[in-house]
Amino acid sequence: MRRLAWRAFVYAAALGLAAQAVLPLLWMLSTSLKPPREVFATPPTFVPASPTLESFARLLGETAFLTYFRNSVVVAGLTVVLTMAVGALGAYSLTRFAFPGREAVARLILCTYMFAPIMIVIPIYILARRLGIVNTHAALVLSYASFCLPFSLWLLRAFFQSIPLELEEAAHVDGAGRGRALLHIVLPLALPGLIATSIFTFTLAWNDYIFTRILIASDELKTLPVGVQDLFAAAVVDWGLVMAAGMLITIPALAFFMAVQRHLVAGWGTGGLKG
Amino acid sequence: MRRRLPGAVLGVLWILPALVLIVGLILYPVAYAIWLSFFDKHSFFPAERWVGLGNYARIAGDAEFWDSLWKGVVYAAATTGLQLVLGVAAALVLHQAFRGRTAIRALVLFPYMIPTIVAVIVWRWLLNETYGVVDDLLLRFRLVREPIVWLGVDHMMTSLIAVSVWQFTPFVVVSVLARLQTIPLELYEAARVDGASAWARFRHITLPQLRAVLFVVVLLRSIWMFTKFDTVWLWGEGAGAGREIRTLPIYAYMRTFTYYQAGFGAALAVIMFLMLMAATLVYFRLFWGEEEAA
Repeated sequence: MRRLAWRAFVYAAALGLAAQAVLPLLWMLSTSLKPPREVFATPPTFVPASPTLESFARLLGETAFLTYFRNSVVVAGLTVVLTMAVGALGAYSLTRFAFPGREAVARLILCTYMFAPIMIVIPIYILARRLGIVNTHAALVLSYASFCLPFSLWLLRAFFQSIPLELEEAAHVDGAGRGRALLHIVLPLALPGLIATSIFTFTLAWNDYIFTRILIASDELKTLPVGVQDLFAAAVVDWGLVMAAGMLITIPALAFFMAVQRHLVAGWGTGGLKG
Repeated sequence: MRRRLPGAVLGVLWILPALVLIVGLILYPVAYAIWLSFFDKHSFFPAERWVGLGNYARIAGDAEFWDSLWKGVVYAAATTGLQLVLGVAAALVLHQAFRGRTAIRALVLFPYMIPTIVAVIVWRWLLNETYGVVDDLLLRFRLVREPIVWLGVDHMMTSLIAVSVWQFTPFVVVSVLARLQTIPLELYEAARVDGASAWARFRHITLPQLRAVLFVVVLLRSIWMFTKFDTVWLWGEGAGAGREIRTLPIYAYMRTFTYYQAGFGAALAVIMFLMLMAATLVYFRLFWGEEEAA
């Protein structure tokens, strides 16, 4: 009897946990599918009485949403590429080469992980203005990549350390250089680590608000979070439109997450996604 | 065989791009912020005037600073405490065996994976005072007589804390869950043989085993909540975030980008950083034990 009660409790609690996480997002979906009149119905209807894609059509047709979307894809994509290239080279160096100060460098890198965006955006803004790269995607990509690098380096370093050196020594005997050893031996073996690192990097760049808010002024260069905030800051909020935008930002993030989620745990132990 | 560069030279060359980015875009900006905090500088125009510790003196006597510091501490403490309690409880539930566990573990992560802007717009809509579903349910079940104005001055901090806890608790859940899975089962079996109650097993086996991970989780979460910008800023519609939720990061941002006082804003950021350093040192002094060193 007590066992049964315990099992009932576990199921109820698990369902409750799932519900609190998912219901708000389902409500967003429901609102995005309602025609304008139904959005403001009181009492609210939970399932749209007459579902329509009108809000999505208006979002894509009448706002710059697609531009923001493209900008977000470009910026997040380039950030992942840059971070992974620089991070893999750096992590290989930290695990495979002996040079003076190597451990000090590794520790210094970990320390920089402590800085929150708000502490560096003010000087970055002033420096970017001075360099004339304010209002470019390059400024965003460089900022995100630097911001992600400390954690990415640590994560990749941990993965590279777990790969036996003998495999590479064998390759060297065959005359393969360091570059080829990294590319053909270390990287394939460290794939789970590469995936965890790229999720972390992608999510940060895709979700970020503050760097774009500060570094990007022109509408056609804005990424999704800032672009959507501007939709939402209108005098009369068009909730159907805003919820449709929310859906279209969330879907890629969640799809990406579901696709790689089993690899995610790898990155979590060491402090995981920052936020 | 090709001639190879000595390992040390190649090693330095390969770490160099990463170092250039980290030094150039994190360390240098931080150093520059410290330098800037000694100047009276407009955020857009190049003119600057050395004022020494002037900005810091001004901060000490600035009522708005003390107010935002207090709000920031309340926000960080409340959200971190709630995330910790709810996160550990949720992890214990998800650690049990039940059907559909893998799926629910993934679903529970959703609030943490969605962009902040989405979390904010969803909850602003749910909590809308006229059309929101939360007030509608509260009224329907007669839990309240009047709709609660969640985004009004009286409840803004409460609703902000609730939304932040919803958004960030999954981080605690996953961190704790990962650790729970590595606790040796023999420990529990031995305790059961001795007739220890469920509470006693949690208190004397699970909690001590979780100590190290909780040490890190509390440290990271409180730092991240104390410096949280986007959730707070967007909750206040990005328009100065209302006085009720003007935490320290918001105040530093406003000084720089609303009042164009870059020097003053930088000084606020430096103060925030120094306070975090001091708090971290005290935290380590108080709670760092043998387990964490392992």
